[in-house]
Amino acid sequence: MEAHEIVIDRKRRKIGGLSPDLADRCFTCGTCSGGCPATGLVPIEGGEGTWDPRKAIRAIVFGLEQEVIDSKWPWVCTICGRCEYACPMGIKLMRTFRACRTLRERDKVPGPIHKGTVMNLEKGNNLGIPTEDFLYLLADMGKEMEEEGFPGFYVPVDKEGANIIVTINSKEPFGEPDDMKFWWKIFYAAKEDWTVSSVNWEGVNWGLFSGDDEAWKEQCRRIIENARRLKCKTILYPE
Amino acid sequence: MDLLEEYISTGRIKLDTTRIHETVTVHDPCNYVRKSQMALGDHMGDKTRWIVKQCINPELYREMCDDPLNNFCCGGGGGAWAMPYTEERLAYGRVKADQIRATGAEIVVAPCHNCRDQIMKGLGKEHAEGRMDMGNYKETMYLWEMVAHCLIVEPWNEEEIEAAHAERDAQFERMGIVMEEEE
Repeated sequence: MEAHEIVIDRKRRKIGGLSPDLADRCFTCGTCSGGCPATGLVPIEGGEGTWDPRKAIRAIVFGLEQEVIDSKWPWVCTICGRCEYACPMGIKLMRTFRACRTLRERDKVPGPIHKGTVMNLEKGNNLGIPTEDFLYLLADMGKEMEEEGFPGFYVPVDKEGANIIVTINSKEPFGEPDDMKFWWKIFYAAKEDWTVSSVNWEGVNWGLFSGDDEAWKEQCRRIIENARRLKCKTILYPE
Repeated sequence: MDLLEEYISTGRIKLDTTRIHETVTVHDPCNYVRKSQMALGDHMGDKTRWIVKQCINPELYREMCDDPLNNFCCGGGGGAWAMPYTEERLAYGRVKADQIRATGAEIVVAPCHNCRDQIMKGLGKEHAEGRMDMGNYKETMYLWEMVAHCLIVEPWNEEEIEAAHAERDAQFERMGIVMEEEE
């Protein structure tokens, strides 16, 4: 191994905000890595060994940010927060690793989550389900519920002044529609005054996962806008 | 979860505790427990357990983790369920699979969509095909699925049904929904 001089330049770090400054406080105790189920899962490309939270923080402190951003590490990490919860120095590891996701070029975001985010901004849900299909599905399923022993049940859409507005995970209308009935049965039994929005009803925020702050914010804004438009007091994310 | 707790504790919904005969354990989603505590100063770990114990004979409950705030992530979080790194995701999930095996429970309750998919379709499939050992594991249920399963449903009265139908028909008209009449 040849030794290289490492010049630490805090001013020119890409990962902004609080976390890099705090990262300098890391005294490499390894508490984070010890409690992390992702420790050892990702080999360090062009280096030795495998990634873990401590090494990723050290790399950032030493100015090797790009290596972390380009690695699989920030994506195999589930941002579960065990490392941060246990860190004796209060380092914001979750924010730091999510920032690594933010700094990944959008066309290099793994899997469908970036495409789903774009789809959401265009069509109002991650899977691009058209409004009409969605409304007919809910109408048909309301009828099914009545036949299954819930007479009088229907899915209230855009009902003004309802007590609760509910978001929906698009995987359900898309592939597992019967799973929506669990909550519906509970609402029926509780005689809840609830509703679903006909537009922007998606409850899954892939902008949060892909590191896309603008999309993350926009999706939250829409959900609040739905609640305001329909004058609902409570938003329920049945996630 | 607050809502389910409210429905149960105020008697707005009633549950039949004799429908489930399997042993049950609860998984703590990072977002509802550890991260809620860190961000908001409160968490759902105790609530989830309370709700589950209202659905079953409490003797069937098996604890997975005495400290919900330090419970392990299932490996499906942070978007991992939707990512292409299947091998890493399943390797990560071994920690959860070991925890489930140690409880001896047959049903795992997951109060989160991602966790349920990872435990049921990810780890559960590995277990079914012999690549992982989750002990007595049989199935994963959403928390609200368990509540719905144990629900004692009293159909609404004629008046309520009529009122609901009138509301429904007005809504369909407003939205241009035309339902086919059953032959």
